[in-house]
Parts: sequence; structure tokens; C-alpha cells
Amino acid sequence: MERRTFGKTVLAVSLLTSSALTATAAFAEDYVIGFSQVTTVEPWRVQFNKDLRAEAELHENVELLISDANDRTEKQVADVENFIRQEVDAILISPKESAGLTGVVEQATDAGIPVFVLDRNVDTDKFVQWVGGDNSLIGVAAGEYALELLGGKGNAQGNIVEIFGGLGVQATFERSDPFHAAFEGEEGVTFLLDRQSGDWKQDQAYDIMSTALRNYEDIDMVYGHNDPMAYGAYLAAKDAGRADDIIFIGVDGLPDEGVTWVANGELAATFLYPTPGAEGLRQALKHLAGEEVPREVVMGTEAITPENAEDILVRNGLR
Amino acid sequence: MSATDATSREPASKSSRPGIALRVLARTKLYWGLIVLLAFGALTSPLTSKGNNIFLSIGNLTDVLRQVSVTGIVAVGMTMVIFIAGIDLSVGSLMALGTVICAMLLTQSGWTAASTFAVPATGFVIGFCIFALVLFILKNRARSTTRDKPDTQSKWLAGGIAAAVAGVLMIWLASQIGAKFGVLAVLVAVPCVGAVMGAMNGAIIVYGRLQPFIVTLAMMVGALGLARVIAGQDTAVHPVYTGSNATETFEVLRMLLWGFLPVPGVIFLVVLLIFFMLTRLTTFGSYLLAIGGNEEAARLAGIDVGRIKITTYSIAGALSALAGVLYVAQFRQGKPDAGIGLELDAIAAVVIGGTSLMGGRGAIMGTLVGVLIFGFLSNILQLNNIDSNTQLILKGIIIVAAVLLQEGRFDGTFAWLKYKLSRQ
Repeated sequence: MERRTFGKTVLAVSLLTSSALTATAAFAEDYVIGFSQVTTVEPWRVQFNKDLRAEAELHENVELLISDANDRTEKQVADVENFIRQEVDAILISPKESAGLTGVVEQATDAGIPVFVLDRNVDTDKFVQWVGGDNSLIGVAAGEYALELLGGKGNAQGNIVEIFGGLGVQATFERSDPFHAAFEGEEGVTFLLDRQSGDWKQDQAYDIMSTALRNYEDIDMVYGHNDPMAYGAYLAAKDAGRADDIIFIGVDGLPDEGVTWVANGELAATFLYPTPGAEGLRQALKHLAGEEVPREVVMGTEAITPENAEDILVRNGLR
Repeated sequence: MSATDATSREPASKSSRPGIALRVLARTKLYWGLIVLLAFGALTSPLTSKGNNIFLSIGNLTDVLRQVSVTGIVAVGMTMVIFIAGIDLSVGSLMALGTVICAMLLTQSGWTAASTFAVPATGFVIGFCIFALVLFILKNRARSTTRDKPDTQSKWLAGGIAAAVAGVLMIWLASQIGAKFGVLAVLVAVPCVGAVMGAMNGAIIVYGRLQPFIVTLAMMVGALGLARVIAGQDTAVHPVYTGSNATETFEVLRMLLWGFLPVPGVIFLVVLLIFFMLTRLTTFGSYLLAIGGNEEAARLAGIDVGRIKITTYSIAGALSALAGVLYVAQFRQGKPDAGIGLELDAIAAVVIGGTSLMGGRGAIMGTLVGVLIFGFLSNILQLNNIDSNTQLILKGIIIVAAVLLQEGRFDGTFAWLKYKLSRQ
């Protein structure tokens, strides 16, 4: 009994203060926007949240609530249900997986809350918009770049080590297949390893590469499906004294990882996999303001090479 | 060693039956398993352009030693925990906590979350160790002359010395805080953090009279959260670039001695040797096996079971954190999710090495073999370029095969075969 009244008091006080705060803010319209993030321990996700928070800072009438699902579907479902109970003005969700989260996205839409799906998609059309990057574009861009470095169309020469991300993940194959397609018909190019997965991790890529270096005396290029794996491979090659003979290409282009390594000359290039954080929030605000928004926003990639890496670091306050 | 233990329990009455050669073979079967694996690796290994066998090259063999060093050090601690019929699921999280604290101490100066946690922990652990050591020495001297228990006076003396040493140590560490930590400071401070966490495991198990499984499971979850909090909300990974954001001397922990011997591997072997001697040559080692064999009997025999248990869990914690330092040295990063699944690798290596999960039976050297079987298996599959998913299947099969070889009683099968043959 006592505990219940205590809870009620806390609730009442917090409601009062929040309404008081909103009253003092006295803007034309205030939006509470809930964002359900799947996990916050991956560097890319950390950047995602940073971008989203930075964008929210720019709009004074936005209150952003971020929840972290600890990489678990059931927690993420509960998080979104929580937002529905709080009657937020819009929900942004970056789902863990499509199947498990489709239901709760539909539930939110049925409750009259506009839902914006970021990065991975869900199996329903009961949401306003999907915003995300396109891994196939990255595979294409990386393939073209790599082909150029190895001698150009028709006379490319070299042995490539490709370190796969997770073998059960679609992004892995979207980053891999177009890359292979770029080298179709190139007689001089060999892919040395057969689907070796480093599970997106620097340490596993290090071990794969150190064995590959024993196994093959001639390696010209490493394509890691993300920057930490490309960097792990670089470290292995450096320890074997062979880093200078090999070109390392990564994907993701986070300022404090890939971009830094490119600027240091450790990776030759990385390809930006943009976080949909800022764009998602901008789209949501447009929608709330009554504007028409497209069903899908696909964000492009960008090659980060030694030429533009420094600028990006300066822009992010890292140099 | 473990293989010896496994068979020495068999009654000696049938000694003449299987023949001496067979018995030797049975006793050393674990090593034969490793040798068969090595032979397989050598036979299937690709060759260099000069025709040299890649698998058998010194570089490749020391690669494997380096690759197993982190799991190996954790497995040594796990072996001792399993000796006392316990289990420690928190080693992976403690290793990750170690990587985070190590990376932060190396790259950030001032009182960060890591140093506020590490410096007092170090003072506490080292102070306690000195306290115990001084008491031990005093007790032994007293015993040799008058056979008296240590009186309160000697306790005060020990406490004074311990406090003094711990104080000096903490001042030394605190003096490093202004700059960043050096190699030696990290090597002292990080395992101490692990020891504190491990001692918490042990104390809760002993005084709360709880199952080790559930206590260390809670620690596994809790330490993961702690590692994330210490790492900071907005940083998933702390990169360590020696020479730019961390001291150049940290490279010592990953260099190759004489051009071929990796330091992490050497540290693993040294740790292994220390704990091999500790378990084989000291009373502490006998106590471990006694407690694992029959805890009640050990207690009635006058062994301070609680104290031994807490010590064992804190050793396991300290070794996990030490493994974290070596992880940072090798992969130049500290991160909270570094050790996910490590506890299972360690337990598998221990069991393959012939240590019984029921406690009271096993050997540290068996764990070395278990760890090496794992390491060489990955290496062989990798050299032969088997795809990652198939590697997992093969690993599962090998684990079962190795444990069957180690634990399986084939006497029945032999008897059945003999019976069938004699019928014909």
C-alpha cells in the first residue's frame, strides 16, 4: 500500500514538473520522440546515437528519449511498447530483426503513432518510412575502387583476401557479392580464402590474417567487411613485416575508427556506411509538421581516402 | 598427468591382463590425441613455394601458442576452480573488464572511472597478500620454535607491514595517474581488479552458501555491465595505439623474443608452470583436490574450506584480468564485449584436458593439452581454408571425440569384442 502511494506521488510530481517544463518552454509545438536502439556497444551504433542526439540538439522543440535493447528482441519489443504507453509523438526504431519486431511496429501504428524504421527493415507496410544505407552500393563502390588499384578493368592483377562479417547476416553478402562481381572475367585476380568469417571483430580478423600470411606468400589486397576487421588484418601483416606490400580496404567509415586509420595511412580506403540517425529525425519532424515524406530514403556511400580523411576528422573535432 | 589420474583408480587386480604396452597407451591417450592431431596437421598442411611445410614452420607453431594464450591463462584459473568442484562463468566478463580498465589506464590520464576503481583495488589486494604472507612467515617461525598460534601481536605487526607496503604501492600508482600508466603498473593493477571481483564470487559462494553456477552467472552479467559503465556510454571500444596515445613500452607485451617466441605465449607458459607447481607441490594443491573430492571430509580433516575457495576464485579472477591485459596487447583495443563465450572455451579446454567437472580429479598440464588441441584444430582448419560454418561443426565433433577418448570407458567395448571374437 505504502509503496503504491509512494509510486503515485512520484508519478504525479514528475508529471507536474514535466508539464511545468513544457509550459515554460512555450514553443509552438513540442515533440517527444522515442528512439528504440537495438544495442549501444557496437561503435557504429554509438555513432548512430551520437548523430541522432546532435540532430536533436539543433531542434529546441524536440525531446528525445533513447532506449537500448541490449541486443535482445524481447527487450526491444518492451521498449517500443513503453513508448506507446507514454504516447510519444513519433517512434524511431532500429530493429534487431524483422520478424520479431513487426508486431510491435504495427501496434504502434494502430495506436496512431507514426513509426520510422531505421537501418534494418520490418515485414509490414504499417509504418511511415524506412531510412537506411545500402550495403550493395558499398560493395559496388569498394569493388570499383579495388579494381582500379589492382590495375583497372581487363588487366587487374593480384591476390585478394576477403574477411567476411557474419555468415548469417544479409549485409555480409550485400557487401561481398557486388565486390566479386566487379572482378568478373579478371583472369589475373584470385580470391584466396573461402568465406572466412571474422564475425566483424578485430581480434578474429587478426588471427585469420596471421594464418593467411603463413599460407600465402603473395597477398596484394585485403577487403574487410568492416573497418575493425581490415585494421586487425593490417596489424597482423604489420607484425609479420608485410603491411607495406598489401592494400587494406574497409567499410563503415566511422570517424574514430576507419577514417582515423585511413588518415594514418594504415588503411587505403574505407566506404562510409552512413548512420540513419540524423536523417531519420529530420524526416520524422517533416512528417509531424505535415509535410509529405517519401516511403523510403536510401542513403548513399562515400569513398574515404587519404585525400578527404583529414577533412572528415577535422569536421568531427578529432584533429 | 591427468590421464594417469584417470586410470589410476582402476583396480590393479587385472594388471597383467591388458599388457603393459596397452596400459601405457591408455594412460597417455590424451597426448596421443594431440600427436595424432599434429600429424594430421602436418600431413594436410599446404606447402610454401620452396616446399616447406607451413604447419610445422616455427612461425606457425608460435602463432598458435600466441593465439591460445588468452584462453589458456583463463583456462588455468578455471582448472583450479573445477578442481574444487566449482565453476566460474564470470571469467569472460572479467577478462573484458580487464581489457577496458587496461586500455583506459594506458590511454587516459587523471582520475578516470578505471583508475578510481583500479588503484584502491590494487592497494587492497596487495595489502591483503602481504598481510597473509607476513602472518604465514611468523607462524612458521613460531612453529619451528614453540609451536604456538600467531598471537595478536604478530597480527598487528603483519597488519602494519601490509598497510605500509599497500600505502607505498598506492602512492606509486597514484603518482602514475597524472601521466598514463606504464606496463608494470598495468600488469600489477589490472589483475588486482580481477582478484577483487573473483574474491567477491568466492565470498558470496562461501558465506551465502550458494551454488557457484548461479553466483558466477550473476557476476558474469554484473561485470559486463560494470565494464560498459566504466568504458562510458558513448564508447564501445577503447583503441590503444602504442606510441601515440599510449606508452611505447607496452609493445613489450606483444613482441617476439629472439624473433620467434611471442611474449603472450611465454606469459601463458610461465603462468601454467607456476600453477602446475602450486597444485602439485604445495599443500594448497592437495587441499584443492581434497575439497573437490569430498568437501565435508576435507572440512572435518581441518582444512579451512571457505578460505581455500575464496582464494581459488580470486586467482581465477586475477588470471582472467591478466588475460585481458594480453588481449589489449595483442589486439590494441579494450572493449566490454571482448570475452563473450570465453568461459565456454575455457571449460571445454579444461574438460578435454581430463579434469572432471565433478571435481577432485584432474591436472593443470591436461589443460595445456586441451587448450593446444583447440588452438591447433583452428589453425589446421584455417590453413586448409575450411569455411567458417563448417569449422564450427568440425570443432563440435572434435570436442566430443576428445572427451570420449579421455573419459570414455572402453573396457566394456573391449570385453564385448573379445566375447564376439571368442564365439567365432
